[in-house]
Amino acid sequence: MGAVHHDLAGGGPTFEPMIQIDMEIKAFVSAWRHCDYVSTYMARMISQNRSDSVRHSNLFSSAFNELLEVAFRTRHADGELACRVSRHGATDRIELTFPCVPEERQFYEEAVSQLAGIEARERYLNSVSGDLAPSRELVLLELAVDYNATLWIEDADGDAIKLVVDLPLEGLQN
Amino acid sequence: MSPYDLLPRFKAQYDANNQEFSISGVVRPQAIDELGPSIALLRDAIGRVRGVLYVNVRRLTQMNNAAFHTFSRIIIDACRARPELKFVVITSSVVGWTSRKFGRLSGIEPNITVEEYDTEFYPGQGFLEEGGFVPILRTQTKMTWRHERAILPRHGMRPGIVMADICCGIGDFAVLVQKEFQPSRIVALDHSMTSLDYARRVMREFDIRGIEYTYGDASEMLLDETQFDLVTCRHSLQIFNRPELILRELYRICKPGGRVYITNEKNSHCLGEPRAESIRWTYDEVAKLFKHFEMDVELGPKSRRYLVEAGFEDIRVETFMVTNLDGDPQDFADVIAAWADVYAGEMATRRGDGPEFVARFRQGFEDHIFAALHPKGYAGWPIWVASGRRPQ
Repeated sequence: MGAVHHDLAGGGPTFEPMIQIDMEIKAFVSAWRHCDYVSTYMARMISQNRSDSVRHSNLFSSAFNELLEVAFRTRHADGELACRVSRHGATDRIELTFPCVPEERQFYEEAVSQLAGIEARERYLNSVSGDLAPSRELVLLELAVDYNATLWIEDADGDAIKLVVDLPLEGLQN
Repeated sequence: MSPYDLLPRFKAQYDANNQEFSISGVVRPQAIDELGPSIALLRDAIGRVRGVLYVNVRRLTQMNNAAFHTFSRIIIDACRARPELKFVVITSSVVGWTSRKFGRLSGIEPNITVEEYDTEFYPGQGFLEEGGFVPILRTQTKMTWRHERAILPRHGMRPGIVMADICCGIGDFAVLVQKEFQPSRIVALDHSMTSLDYARRVMREFDIRGIEYTYGDASEMLLDETQFDLVTCRHSLQIFNRPELILRELYRICKPGGRVYITNEKNSHCLGEPRAESIRWTYDEVAKLFKHFEMDVELGPKSRRYLVEAGFEDIRVETFMVTNLDGDPQDFADVIAAWADVYAGEMATRRGDGPEFVARFRQGFEDHIFAALHPKGYAGWPIWVASGRRPQ
């Protein structure tokens, strides 16, 4: 789960693009329900040829919605949101690019760098039982711990950040 | 405001009799205020109960972390404030994330346990859906298909439709329908992983397209409403202890104007000559045996009533008799032998039947096989077919 580093030059497997939705961030943050709309729609579209399309769609929507809710809370008011899903075998890759301020970028970089290792599970449990409202870090931890996701950050143009999440939902048992 | 905003996205209820708080639907609030009434209901429930509070999330399709944290916090706090109180969270194996997510709570507070609902819900079906029953199911479908291929068009089957086969088992009916009638899409659902694995393997090996197999609970499906022209559910209502729950779901996913098609048996009407008396006695006992496990294999003639009560109109009912004269009599004999193995074997043992009863019980099946293979014999297995139209 949750490997942090990704060797861009390593020539990993080729992910075939499946679907992409772009929106002005202003339009996206104008209504909370956009997170639900986009996650549900994209989940249905990409799950059609999975071995259990209904179950896959439910799981994918659950994970993707959390990421979109993270992007929704960005403090940067301008720019574009880009959601792209591609596939290699049993793994679906979400690339979520959205504008953010430098402090947020630093937060994401630190949060993603701490997702590896057994302590991630412990921190996740502490977050669940803690008094504070769920943080963006909890969302990332949950993806790593509960969905066996691998997350990392890639460069994006301007004031944007690209969060990349590999989700192996096809082989995930209950 | 769009129609989306007007739809109730989730519902919370408290059942005082069962001490059960349930929440269902899609719970993705932006702010916790949106959960106000549901939170108040849960707090109120905690304040009222003694012993155990059941928290039922088996129909919870989606819940974001903000909502999960809020409800979890209330439950965890209650555990700490009232150590004598226990919580049982009931999840569904069908909604993949619920058991995993809610399962974490039992690691945080020992007074919280998490149970998956589906495996407990259908007490008798384990006899029928796992293990070595697959070849017999295939043979049964082969024998009933000879009749159903002619019957189905009278109940809404035609090329190009979108159909669902609920409780599809090993998927052989869906495959036969695909080949014979070419619907544009078939969604086939079952809650036996073993059966679905088999169905998918067949689909891969024979390069069959157009069927989507999905794991699900027929009484609480994740499928969207009003999307199918025809919904089939064969030999299944009779093995659920509450068939009206399944029918409600079949109705929900059927398009207005579409039809729901069900087949069921009346086992005590299985017959044979010679040795009719012994055969009749045994199949009367089969009905009683299933009743013991809360299954009604006498449901066939009750189909009309069930469909009427579920709200269907233009109800059509017909019967057919699978006999030893349909194809190879040995097929018929093989099916009866498999029934004998399960009914006079594991099921009778589980009920606690003595050896004398089991010997007589088994004899009736052997006599049915004798009648099927006898050169002048006749053996029959009657099936009731019924369908109803969902009103426009």
